Amino acid sequence: MLAPIDLTDAQASSPLGRTSPLVKLGVAITWLIGLALVREPGPPLVLAALAIVAGLSIGRVTARNLVRGLAPLLLAATSIALANLLWSSSNGDPTAVELARIGPFRITREAADAAVALAARVVSIVSVGAVFAQTTDPTRLVDALVQQARVPERFAYGALAAYQAVPGLAEDLVTLRQARRVRGLRGWHPRLLLGLLVRALRHADQLALAMDARAFGSGPRTTFRPIRWGWLDAAVGLGGLAALWIALAIRF
Amino acid sequence: MTSTTAGPTGAAPGRSIDTRWRTRDIVVAAVLGVTFGVVFWAWGAAAWPALAPLNGPFPVLQDLFYAVWLVPAVLAPLIVRKPGAALFAEMVAAGLSAFLGSQWGADTLLSGFVQGAAAELIFAFTLYRTWSLPVLAIAAVASAAAAWIHDWAVYYPDVALEIQLARGVAMAISAIVIAAFGSVALVRSLRRAGVLEGFPD
Repeated sequence: MLAPIDLTDAQASSPLGRTSPLVKLGVAITWLIGLALVREPGPPLVLAALAIVAGLSIGRVTARNLVRGLAPLLLAATSIALANLLWSSSNGDPTAVELARIGPFRITREAADAAVALAARVVSIVSVGAVFAQTTDPTRLVDALVQQARVPERFAYGALAAYQAVPGLAEDLVTLRQARRVRGLRGWHPRLLLGLLVRALRHADQLALAMDARAFGSGPRTTFRPIRWGWLDAAVGLGGLAALWIALAIRF
Repeated sequence: MTSTTAGPTGAAPGRSIDTRWRTRDIVVAAVLGVTFGVVFWAWGAAAWPALAPLNGPFPVLQDLFYAVWLVPAVLAPLIVRKPGAALFAEMVAAGLSAFLGSQWGADTLLSGFVQGAAAELIFAFTLYRTWSLPVLAIAAVASAAAAWIHDWAVYYPDVALEIQLARGVAMAISAIVIAAFGSVALVRSLRRAGVLEGFPD
């Protein structure tokens, strides 16, 4: 069953959990851009390892949850690596060192190097994403977006309100599929989407009505969970930049 | 407090549009984004593992289905017709995806941003007044183009040019069929189901 990640108190009150989600997001995006500039497997692997160690230590993410978060990694990394390996531009280069010939494919050393590096890149992107998701409460992210990034609050809290519909939508999807099964139909069909959207839009209308009835967005808001910049934010931000700098210095 | 985006000024008489977002517009666009976040998850869990192993030998195949990720950037603005709807809905979908745990991790947000922003740009060019199929198709292709450039840089930098071009063509076809025609078909069905009362035709 689909459900948003349940953050326990341990993760939410950990140093990484108390860091502003915007800082974590900033570090994740900066790392991503930094990694897009290098073609070696070393830097992404260093950052992936750092993210995992940080998640387990200062994020107090349990090993079990982390492994579950990293599960999609294998397929994604293999798929990307294989595409780059088989269709690398250097495979057509006659001066490149040939490693193997599989059917119509000529595999060169250059292509293999690039494939390994890109698999490492996917590993780092997924690791960072898993640690971010497992140390960040969506409500806190929205609070930070409104209070610290000055994102218009009606949109931010509107999105958060919609986000609460996820478990319900996932149940609707199960119900709709069961209804199809009763009629002897299996698998996925675009019609499921239509049914899901009808339910979702009905829900949205009720939600909007309820929010309007409580004068949502009609006056200045007071803040229930104030978020302030703190030394932890500076430490994680600077640590993240330092980690990127070190990782980029290690070229292997 | 209203947080309206500055609308186009000097609108032609009789064709001026209301650029203010009602609560309903916001929640509907957000719920569309969230619903597609769930669809992405179901797609990622059901269809993608079947397609991914084929990505190696047949790299263009999965791109024919790429536009599944682009639908919110066309469908949400087509329904609510407000400035920012494409970017907002696509970001909500991507944000949900990132939290549910996607195979693309933190990059989901970057992908969602470029895909939503590219479609948004096209709708902005029409001053949010034209919602014909050609405009939707161009917006969908723009979104696909942004995704194509992003994926080229991040995931396929070593892949040969011919394959990149083939991927681009497949993604554009996918965008027109799934995101543009698909959105129009969905809106038609949703209108018939009676859930779009109060939204512009």
